[in-house]
Amino acid sequence: MLVFIAKRARNAVLLLFLASVLCFTLVVSAPGNVAILIAELRTPTATKEDIAKVEEELGLNKPLLERYGFWLQGALKGNLGISYKTGEDVGAALRSRLSVTATLVAGGAVVAFVLSLLVGFIGALWAHRMPDYIMRGIALLGASTPSFFVGALLVYAFSVNWHLLPTFGFSGPASWVLPWLTLGFLPAAVLSRVVRVGFEDAMAKPYVLTARSKGLSQTRILFRDALPNIAPTYLNALGTQIGTMVVGAVVVEPLFAWQGLGDLFLAGVRFRDFMVVQACLLVFITFFVILNVVVDIGITLTDPRLRRQRS
Amino acid sequence: MTAEPILIVKDLTIDLLTAHTAVRPVDSISYQLRRGETLAIVGESGSGKTVTCFAPLGLMPVGVKADVSGSVLFEGTELVGANEETLRSLRGKSIGFIFQDPMSALNPARRIGHQIAEVAELHLGITPRAAEARALDLIKMVGMSDPNARLKQYPHELSGGLRQRVMIAISIAAEPKLLVADEPTTALDVTVQAQILRLLKEIQARMDMAMVLITHDMGVVAGAADRVLVMYAGRQAEVGPTEKVLVAPRHPYTMGLIDAIPRRDDAIGSRFRGLSGLPPILGAPIKGCAFTPRCRHSVEGCGAQRPPLRTTADPAVMAACPVLNA
Amino acid sequence: MQSIKAFAKAVAALPRAAVFTIGAFILLGLFAPYITPYDPNAQNLLMAGEGPSLAHWLGADHLGRDTLSRLIAAARTSLVGVCLVLLCAHSIGIVIGTIAGYRRGWTDEVLMRVVDVGQAIPSLIVSLAVIGIFGVSYWNMILALALAWWPSSARISRAVAVNVMNKPHMEALRVLGASPLRIYFVHLFPATLGAVLVYATADAGAVALAIATLSFLGLGIQPPTPEWGQMLVDALPYLEADPRQVILPGLTLTLAVVGFNILGEAVALNRVPKPLGARLVAARRRITASWATETRS
Repeated sequence: MLVFIAKRARNAVLLLFLASVLCFTLVVSAPGNVAILIAELRTPTATKEDIAKVEEELGLNKPLLERYGFWLQGALKGNLGISYKTGEDVGAALRSRLSVTATLVAGGAVVAFVLSLLVGFIGALWAHRMPDYIMRGIALLGASTPSFFVGALLVYAFSVNWHLLPTFGFSGPASWVLPWLTLGFLPAAVLSRVVRVGFEDAMAKPYVLTARSKGLSQTRILFRDALPNIAPTYLNALGTQIGTMVVGAVVVEPLFAWQGLGDLFLAGVRFRDFMVVQACLLVFITFFVILNVVVDIGITLTDPRLRRQRS
Repeated sequence: MTAEPILIVKDLTIDLLTAHTAVRPVDSISYQLRRGETLAIVGESGSGKTVTCFAPLGLMPVGVKADVSGSVLFEGTELVGANEETLRSLRGKSIGFIFQDPMSALNPARRIGHQIAEVAELHLGITPRAAEARALDLIKMVGMSDPNARLKQYPHELSGGLRQRVMIAISIAAEPKLLVADEPTTALDVTVQAQILRLLKEIQARMDMAMVLITHDMGVVAGAADRVLVMYAGRQAEVGPTEKVLVAPRHPYTMGLIDAIPRRDDAIGSRFRGLSGLPPILGAPIKGCAFTPRCRHSVEGCGAQRPPLRTTADPAVMAACPVLNA
Repeated sequence: MQSIKAFAKAVAALPRAAVFTIGAFILLGLFAPYITPYDPNAQNLLMAGEGPSLAHWLGADHLGRDTLSRLIAAARTSLVGVCLVLLCAHSIGIVIGTIAGYRRGWTDEVLMRVVDVGQAIPSLIVSLAVIGIFGVSYWNMILALALAWWPSSARISRAVAVNVMNKPHMEALRVLGASPLRIYFVHLFPATLGAVLVYATADAGAVALAIATLSFLGLGIQPPTPEWGQMLVDALPYLEADPRQVILPGLTLTLAVVGFNILGEAVALNRVPKPLGARLVAARRRITASWATETRS
């Protein structure tokens, strides 16, 4: 098992290295001259000398490999450069916004986890009967509704109409509720379908017939026999959805006027602030790679066939 | 073997309804079974052997609806028309089941020990700890080495033969009175087949169980069954004591089956004497004798009326062929 | 021919609700210029924020533009966008997928690792990155989404291609001396195309959602072109006063996506057997009941 984890960690580091190269090339290959952009940011009427000065300052006239090494060194120390647009230190901006997005995604993940299991279990327990059809209808709607619409509806219903929860900014724990629901709703619907289809699939397997021949009740078969078999699939899907939720923050944070990574990334994309885009991409991809390793370990732990093979 | 029969099946007819078709794989089957007795149900694949035993107990795969009529009395309880609750209370506790393919019949994600112990825990009303001890005993009883380690293993870590032993342990965990074994040796290596069959007979004798052995293998019949029921296209062709039916078959289909067994005195390279033709595709009931198109003895009139199962010259044997048993 | 037949057969087996919703979406999109009651961009400030009336069935937005006309025109925007994205994504995907499925070996291995990485990164982040580098414009949006979507298309194409290549008649063709080009273009490519079309249609819902999301963020379709996500964000500041202008585009978008998702679910669930419905059981029982009378006569 430890060997397996070590192997995965090594692959992860390799992937991260590739990701850093990718992020670096993305910005280098971007159309438009970065030096001109920055020089114009400083003095709107920048001369050739101004531009050359900027190039010298940022090492933009050095060979690519050297620039990459320089950039990577800085990135590892948390120094991610300076925003072309605002002149802000990107690393500092990231650090100050990280906790907002982390809380948002964690809450959204809990919402998605709890709701999806609830809806999926109800559907499986009353399979092909009314409660199942209702749950499937909800899941279908949920998986088809864009999160910005969910957010708008929630804001309208809870804040504007019923005055129950705060809409914008932070004012105590209650202000977390709507963003969490907004972020977790679509993943919950998608995951509940994974649960439902997983159960449907598992309950048609021969080992379920064996379980029924033992005289076990349907409910017990569902939880004791089918559930362990769908756990790996579910974990995998959960990992994918958590990854998607990180990006979902791009939609949810502006909606609730929150200053998180998503908000920062969106601003970077909108104003083509390459340093910010690059830094955010690096953070996101690092998160995906780590998430993938964790999910992989989780799947190996829940699937005995993989567990023995890999330990 | 003089006691009252524990299983009385009378005029059992089963229609299977699926999303695509409706078929009648079981058509007016009747038989009885006593304690300690083994009945083999023999026939080609698709002749309705499995459905005969599984449908009345509500064991059908998802997507198949079984309409069962006739009567199946198990220790005085009528199974036809009984609700799922009643059937479930019998399954595992009074009737054990062994499935054809031990590769897929065991749950791949659960430890073998749990899969055995849960049956004992549920039906014998014992504590989880006692059930675990019972599972250990059962593992030993079915002849597996290193029983303590086996309990913690998963099905994919075992060979086919060992998995079938586990399946047997599961089926007998609650000491049922009847064991239904569906082709228990078909999916196994030839060398393992004999071991598993011997084990089954041993356990049956020890626990004084009745057994229904579903098979297409005449060798298995000869080695394990007291009586044999030959099925063709969902109908009974012949019923009788094994030694009589195998030695002096009285239905052309039984004759063909026995004739198809390779013999020691066959010349090397001699032609394989199988039954010519294919069994009919199940669907609407066939008028007259279903075997007519493949039968060497068929006469005019065989296809017109359905031959009833009648006592033959030997009073212990019944056959559904008036042509050979006039 | 082969691909058209495969596609027609697949459509015939689909749930009616999906066919109806998708059909409505496509028809609205195709004929939008002819059926919109008003010019979707014509402002009439006297009408601003009006509720539904006989003349304007769904009212007007804060600039006095007819909401119904804008919703219908948005269907066209969405349809065209979805088609372009799917066309680009599947062109890349099918070529990569069929090559991987045809060549197998290390080509397959390398291509599929690339696809793996592409699929592991959420599609929205890929499209945001592309837009962040190349800037906001219509074609950059199409390009961004196509780059986000081709890996899943390649994965499906490869699976289908492998399946086709494993069929016995392909082996026979090879033995008979058909040239690799002939096998690829005459047999493999059309068969893959037919099967992939179904998945492409099921995927259209997700693409429509992505276009709306990018437009909502101001990175996709730009005003004044009507688009559901952009209409919604446009009306968001007036949520309290006029929630209808937020809810209507959201609902329309959701409805269109529901159609595609029903389709996707049907494709995914087709292989799992399910219990027979009461109506099916009754139909089958009529058959078995007829047997009884037949045998008696």
